[in-house]
Amino acid sequence: MASIHLKNVGKRYPDGNRAVIDLNLDIADGDFMVLVGPSGCGKTTALRMVAGLEEISEGEIHLGGELINDVEPGKRDIAMVFQNYALYPHMSVFENIAFPLLSQGVPRAERRDRVERTAAVLGISDMLDRKPRTLSGGQRQRVAMGRAIVREPQAFLMDEPLSNLDAKLRVQMRSEISRIQAELGITTIYVTHDQVEAMTMGTRIAVMRKGVLQQEGSPEVIYGQPANLFVAAFIGSPGMNFVTAELSRRGDDLVLGIGPQELVLPPKTLAQRPALLEHESGSIVIGIRPEHLSLPPTDNSAKLKATVERSEMLGAERLLHVSISAKPVSADEIMEAAEEVSAAAPAMLQDGSKGDEVALIARIDPSIVPQPGSTVELGVGLDRLHFFDLESGRAVL
Amino acid sequence: MVDQVSGPRGRGRSLNKVPWLIALPAVAALIGLRFLPSIVGGTFAFTDWNGADANWIGFDNFFAIFRDPTTSNALVHTFQLAGLLVVICNVLGLMLAMSLRTAFKTRNLMRAMFFLPFALSHLATGYIWQYIFQYSGPLNRILGAAGLESWQLVWLADPNWAIYTILVVLVWQYTGLTMVIYLAGLEGIPDELHDAVAMDGASPWLKFRKVTLPLLAPAITVSATLTLIYGLGAFDQVLSMTGGGPVNATETLATQVWQNTFVYGRFGYGSALALILTGLVAILSIAQVSLLRYQETRL
Amino acid sequence: MRDRYSRKTLIWEVLLLLLAIAFCLPLYLLVSISLKPPQELFTSPLTFPTDLHFENFSRAWQARNSGGMASAMISSVIITVGSVATLIVIGSLSAYAIARRPGKLSATLYTLFVIGIIVPFQLTVLPLFVLFRSLGLIGTYLGMIILWVGILTPLTVFLYTGFVRTIPRDYEEAARMDGAGLVRTYVQVVFPLLRPITGTVAILTGLFIWNDFFASLIFLGGSGRETLPVAIYSFVGEYLTQWNLVFAAVVIALAPLLVFFLIAQKQMIRGFSGGIRG
Repeated sequence: MASIHLKNVGKRYPDGNRAVIDLNLDIADGDFMVLVGPSGCGKTTALRMVAGLEEISEGEIHLGGELINDVEPGKRDIAMVFQNYALYPHMSVFENIAFPLLSQGVPRAERRDRVERTAAVLGISDMLDRKPRTLSGGQRQRVAMGRAIVREPQAFLMDEPLSNLDAKLRVQMRSEISRIQAELGITTIYVTHDQVEAMTMGTRIAVMRKGVLQQEGSPEVIYGQPANLFVAAFIGSPGMNFVTAELSRRGDDLVLGIGPQELVLPPKTLAQRPALLEHESGSIVIGIRPEHLSLPPTDNSAKLKATVERSEMLGAERLLHVSISAKPVSADEIMEAAEEVSAAAPAMLQDGSKGDEVALIARIDPSIVPQPGSTVELGVGLDRLHFFDLESGRAVL
Repeated sequence: MVDQVSGPRGRGRSLNKVPWLIALPAVAALIGLRFLPSIVGGTFAFTDWNGADANWIGFDNFFAIFRDPTTSNALVHTFQLAGLLVVICNVLGLMLAMSLRTAFKTRNLMRAMFFLPFALSHLATGYIWQYIFQYSGPLNRILGAAGLESWQLVWLADPNWAIYTILVVLVWQYTGLTMVIYLAGLEGIPDELHDAVAMDGASPWLKFRKVTLPLLAPAITVSATLTLIYGLGAFDQVLSMTGGGPVNATETLATQVWQNTFVYGRFGYGSALALILTGLVAILSIAQVSLLRYQETRL
Repeated sequence: MRDRYSRKTLIWEVLLLLLAIAFCLPLYLLVSISLKPPQELFTSPLTFPTDLHFENFSRAWQARNSGGMASAMISSVIITVGSVATLIVIGSLSAYAIARRPGKLSATLYTLFVIGIIVPFQLTVLPLFVLFRSLGLIGTYLGMIILWVGILTPLTVFLYTGFVRTIPRDYEEAARMDGAGLVRTYVQVVFPLLRPITGTVAILTGLFIWNDFFASLIFLGGSGRETLPVAIYSFVGEYLTQWNLVFAAVVIALAPLLVFFLIAQKQMIRGFSGGIRG
C-alpha cells in the first residue's frame, strides 16, 4: 500500500492535442480518490498514465515515493479494473483470478489458496469453474475485482467499472466496492463521469474539465464549497440553480438585485466573503442548491416570489420547478455540466430561462402541492448562497 | 524492425509496444516467395529462355501468343469461362442463399449439401464429371430414357460443347461458395430493416432491389472477385476432364502456362502467358472492385 | 410472420431439397460406381450395385503408382498440417504487429499483403521451381511447406489482421497490468482470443492445400512423395476406363475430407463466411 503523487503531469499527443494539462494530485495511502468529469475531460488518460498504459509526456508520477514514469505496467504493482472488465473469455473464473499470480510466478499451492480466499471475500466461491460468458454482469464485476484484489497490490485503478451494470446493481456494487476498499485499505483511483458515484464512494474527489483539474477535496468540500461554476453545476442532482444578480451597497448592507426583487445580505456574509466588495455595484452570479430554497419559507429567511411551472413527485421529496424574472446565466461551464445530465438539458435550460426568465428548482416537502401557474414565496437560505465571478466563473470568497 | 526508443521522457517513447520483429517471418515470406519470384517471372516473359541460353526478345512472346491459335483461343476460353462463371454462380448462389434463409426444417442440411462440392478436390471431382459426360455415361442415358436421343452428344469430344461441360463443373463447384458468402451477407442485414420494409408494404421485388441488393454490395464484391479469380485460373477441372482437348477446344491460360513451361520447357513463353494471366486478374479484379464500390457508395 | 411454417413453405422446401439431392448426385455416382463390377459400369450406371465389390478399394489401395494411396495420404497429411501450423504461427504474429502498431509502416505492409493475395501463383511458379531445384527442395516435404507458406501467408495475414483489429486492447492491457510479459500475453491471452479466426484460417488454407493439384504436380511429381490429387492423376493415367477402380481411388482420396466435412460442416461454413466477412 502506498501513496500516489502526480506532479505537473501532462499528456500531449503528436497532433498537439493535450488530454491532460499540468495535473497535480496527492493521494494519501488508503485514500479512495475519484476522478470525475464529463467525457473527454482527461480523467481516463490520467488513470492510464498512472497504470502505465499511456506514456507520460510531461511531469512525474510517484508511487510510494518512487518515480514510476519508466516502470513497466506489470512491474508497478498496481491492479486495474477495466470498464468492460476485460475478463479473459477463454479462461475460467479461477484462471482469470489466478492469472496475475501466474505472471508473478507464485507457486501453485499458494495460488489456489489466494484465489480461494479472494473468491470468498467476493462471494464467488461457487463460480470458480465457470467461464466469464456464463456469468451475470454483477458476477463479472466481482471477478474483475477479484483479479485486482488477489495480487494485494499497492494501488487499485478502476475505470468506470460500474457503467455496464443496470441501475439497481450499480447501487449495490457501489457500496460493495467501497466496503472492500475500506477493508483492504488499498489506495484507489476511481474514474467515473457519474457525480453520484463520486459523491457516494470517494473519500476524495477530483473534478476535471478539458484536461484541467478544477477542484480537489473531500465530498463535503466539493459539494459545499465548489471552487467554480463548473464544479458547482456538475456536482449535485438536480443541479445548483444559477441567476445573475446586481450587487450594490445600501448603507451598511449589501443588496442583491434579482430582476425586480431584492435580497438583503446579512453582514456576516461580507465578513465571510470579503472579496464580494470587489464586485460591489456590478453583476455577479449567485448559486443556490435546490434544498436551500424552501416552501413555505422559514420565518427568518429571505423571500423570493416565483411562478410555479410544474412539479415532480419523487416520493420522499418533491422537485418544484418555478420561474422568476431575472437575468439568466449561460456560461459554457454550466452548459457543459448540464450536458452530462442529459443531452437535451442545455436546450431545456435555455428554454426555461428565456430573456429575463430564470428557471429554478426547489426541493420541498412532498405533501405540499402548489398549483402550476400560481405564485409562491420561496424561502432563500442566504447563508447558503454561492457567489461566482461573472467573467472567470471562479467562486468569490 | 524499428522500435522507437528515445529519451526516458521523450515523445514517442514506447511503452508496451508490440515489436515489429515478430512480423519479420511473414514479411520475408511475402517478399521472398511472392514478390521477388513475381518480378523474376515477369522478367522471364521478355526472354526466349528454354533451359539453355536466354536472350532478351522484348514483346516477341506476346506477339507469338496472340498469333498462335492455341494460345489466343486459350485466352478466349479463359474469358468465356470466367465471365459466365461470375454471372451464373453469383445469380444461383444469391438465389440459393435467399431461399435458404427461410426456416426450413432441413435448412442446415441443404446448406451443407450445396457447399459440399466446393470442399472436395477439384481434380478428383473432375473425374466424376468426365464419367458423367461420357458418350455411354449417365447423362446420355438419362436423355435417352427421356426420349431425347437427338440431344445425346459426345460431350467431351465435341469442340463446341466441351468448354460448357467444364463450365458446368465449375458452376457446380463454386455455387456453394457464393451461397455461403451471400448467406453471411444476408445475415448482416438487420431483421428490423426487413420488418420496416414489410411494414411499408413494398413488393418483394422492390424490397430486393432497394434494400437487399444494396446492402449486399460488399458480399457481391467479395463473391464476384473470388469467382472471377477461380474462373481465370481454371486448371484442375480442365486437366481431369478434357486435358485441354478436343483439338485445344478447352485450353485455358492456366493449362497453357503449365504445358508450355513444364511440358514443352518454353520457359520464356510460359512466363509471358503467366504475366498475361496476372495482368487479367489484376485489371479485372480491380475494375470489378472499384465498380462495385462505386455502386456501394452511390446507393 | 417470417418464420411461420406453412404449406407453401413445405412445398418450397421439398423442391429445394430435390435440387440439393440432384446437386449431390455426382457423389452418389462416385460411391455407387466405386462398388460396382466393371460390367455394370455402362449397362446400368445409375442404379446401385447389385452386390458390393469392396475389392475395388483394395486394388486401388494396393496400386503402386506414385508410391500408392497410403503414401499419398501420408504426404498430404504431413504437408497440410505442417503448412497450416506454420502459417498460423507466422501469420498471426505478423498480423498482431500490423494491427497493434498503426501507422505508415503498418498500412504499407497491409497493402502489400493484400496485393500478395491477388498475384497468381502461375507467375511465380517457374522462378520458385528454379530456386527450389538449386536448393534441393523439389520433391521434399520441407520444400512443399515453404512453398505453401509463401503462397498463403498473404491471405493468412489479411484474415488475422482484420480480426485482431476487432479485439479490444483491454485484454492485453489487463494482462500487462497483471504483470505478463509480451510472450505470456501473446501465448496465454492474445492467441486464445484469436481462436475463431484461427479456425477459419486453418479450414481455408487446409482445404486449399489438401485439394491442390497444380503446385503439387509440379513440385512433387515423380518424387514418390506425391499428395493425393497427384496420385489420383497418375492413377487415372494408368487405369483410365476402369472407372470402378478410378472411383474407388477417388473415394479413398476424398474420404478424409468428407469425414471432416460431416463432422465440422457447420464450423466450416461459418468459418468461410466469417473469414470472408472479417
